[in-house]
Amino acid sequence: MPIAGVNVTYDPNTLVNDGKPIELDWWAWTNVEQFQAIADAYSEIHPNVVINVVNQPWEDYWTKLPLELQSGGGPALFNVHNSQHENLIANMEPYDIDPADLEADYAGAASHLIDGETHYIDLGLMSGAIYYNTDMWEAAGLTDADIPTTWDEFREVAKALTIRDGDQLRQAGFNFNSGGHTMQAGLAYQLGQNLFEADGSTPAIDNEANLEVIQRFVDIYADGSGDPDFGAAGTDSFGQGLSAMTYAWGWFSGTLKNDYPDLNWSAFQTPVPEAGETPYALDRYNGESTFGINANASDAEKEVAQDFLRYFLTDAESMKELSLIFSVFPAYKPIADDPVFAENPALAAFGEIDRYIWPGPIPATFETTTATMWEEILFNGVAPEEALAAAQATIEKDLSGKDFVSSEGLYAFYSGN
Amino acid sequence: MKVRVFALNAGLLLVGGIVVLPFFWMILSAFKSNSEILSFDQSFLPREWTLENFVSIQTKLDFFRLFFNSVLLSVTITALSVYTSLVGGFVFAKYTFRGRGALFAVILSTMMITWAVVIIPRYTIFRSIGLTDSYASIIIPAVISAFGIFMMRQSMDSIPDEILEAARIDGASEWFIFHRIVAPLSVNAISALSIFQFLWVWEDYLWPYLMISSEEKQVLAVGLTTFRGQYGTDYGGLFAATTLAIVPVLVVYILFQRRFIAGAASAALKG
Repeated sequence: MPIAGVNVTYDPNTLVNDGKPIELDWWAWTNVEQFQAIADAYSEIHPNVVINVVNQPWEDYWTKLPLELQSGGGPALFNVHNSQHENLIANMEPYDIDPADLEADYAGAASHLIDGETHYIDLGLMSGAIYYNTDMWEAAGLTDADIPTTWDEFREVAKALTIRDGDQLRQAGFNFNSGGHTMQAGLAYQLGQNLFEADGSTPAIDNEANLEVIQRFVDIYADGSGDPDFGAAGTDSFGQGLSAMTYAWGWFSGTLKNDYPDLNWSAFQTPVPEAGETPYALDRYNGESTFGINANASDAEKEVAQDFLRYFLTDAESMKELSLIFSVFPAYKPIADDPVFAENPALAAFGEIDRYIWPGPIPATFETTTATMWEEILFNGVAPEEALAAAQATIEKDLSGKDFVSSEGLYAFYSGN
Repeated sequence: MKVRVFALNAGLLLVGGIVVLPFFWMILSAFKSNSEILSFDQSFLPREWTLENFVSIQTKLDFFRLFFNSVLLSVTITALSVYTSLVGGFVFAKYTFRGRGALFAVILSTMMITWAVVIIPRYTIFRSIGLTDSYASIIIPAVISAFGIFMMRQSMDSIPDEILEAARIDGASEWFIFHRIVAPLSVNAISALSIFQFLWVWEDYLWPYLMISSEEKQVLAVGLTTFRGQYGTDYGGLFAATTLAIVPVLVVYILFQRRFIAGAASAALKG
């Protein structure tokens, strides 16, 4: 059988576990069928190996898995979400693959290096895009040529897509209700503003860039192109055919397919401040991670797990399928130009993949505090300047005593604040 | 007087309606598509009835295996815990011994300890003795019920001691007295406790989830949570599975309901 892979390679013509029977468990919280299919394909090459993918509920997975790992047990393989990094890392076996090879094949792999070792990387990168209802677009007389590339153009398109009946909003041109904080954490990058100061630990929330981002969206609502009371969540309102545009991350395409199969929609790249100018970064991204290997597993299990890892990372077809299912831009560089990704509107809306920043597994306070900040602005009339200052104070307080260090410094175009 | 009774009945009917409305809403929603469930413009009855949610739960969840596992565990634990509660209640109600009050107080105090405090030590103990991924890990902690002992003691307090004395004079053994006299006289309390215990086991989620790793051994309450994903929930599938999941609870309630209220009331009123 041919050797697979480019820099990370996999030779299927070898025995694992000396050909002796062995069984491994692999915990996952989603797409179990796809993971099992990959495991079964591996077992066809190595009939002595059985890998059982065990379905786990998302929320309590993060209670059970750390408990199991910390008590010396747990499955040999387990899926990872980088938000749970601190919970898991102490019990994860480093990948037995040269980090340079990983970096050569997988975008962003270097950002996961810890003391020269890799414990998981991204199989795909997820970020934001503007989703739009194509029927409403057409009804407003808009064409593909009207897809906005700047925020100023976007504001005008939002106006064109808004329908009012007297004072009553019938169709919102843009709806970001409950999602302001998601945009907040990524769009200040467009203005050259990192989420952390140069030390990587001090949060940088209360600044001109974030104020500009807030004001931009407050102004769109002030134009009448949306309303804080027009549906609790912009994504739901969009799915229900009440709002013409919303901002969401790649997962939303799966939601639309599952929950609103009759809705006609597409997506375009998040606009930027200046036409024709590539900003410092387009947005924040987060990765869907590859699996972790249990440091407590037996030597035989670890040997098989490391072999399966190489198989997994060099299986281009599976990587392609997983990227499409997760609605993530593939981190595996050899498949990045596959035309199939251009056919998926949510993935086609990505800009230049190198122009997205991963700030690291940032503490939850960033999202919860900025979500509260947006509620204060939209519903309680708090001035954006005051809301930003309060958010800065809260996040600083929540982070005190924690040793979080941002990964922003690993961004290829990084410049300290 | 009639007006007051009518008003009271109307009020109770209204409150009852409010309480059961979400239940009926869930059942009817099990026949809706996800897009209709999430629709901004809601309707109580499905606009388009679909059985798809029910048809697909077996492929999504292996529903019947999980259902069987839950029935097996619920029936086993209910039977065992009701019996041990009967024994415990009998001892505390009908025997006098040194430290009885203190021991009963200790048993009652275990009801005051929150679940969150004990779950990690209990997890560590069961793991260290190798009982993870076994039904023993679910059954053993539930076999002795402080609430059950309390309930049975309250119920048995109302059984006249003279009956037991007469049986002893006639030569009945303690074993006979317990099984042939006291237990049959406690049938109301047994019915009430059976319903409570069955329901608790049926809906118990976190402990079975932590203990059981194999999918084929998992319980239905854990399986239902798999409808809630990282980025969204399959409400149609969840409602369909939940609708079917409440059937055993209803069956148990219907079987024991005649005795249930009397049993619960007697346990609550006796001091």
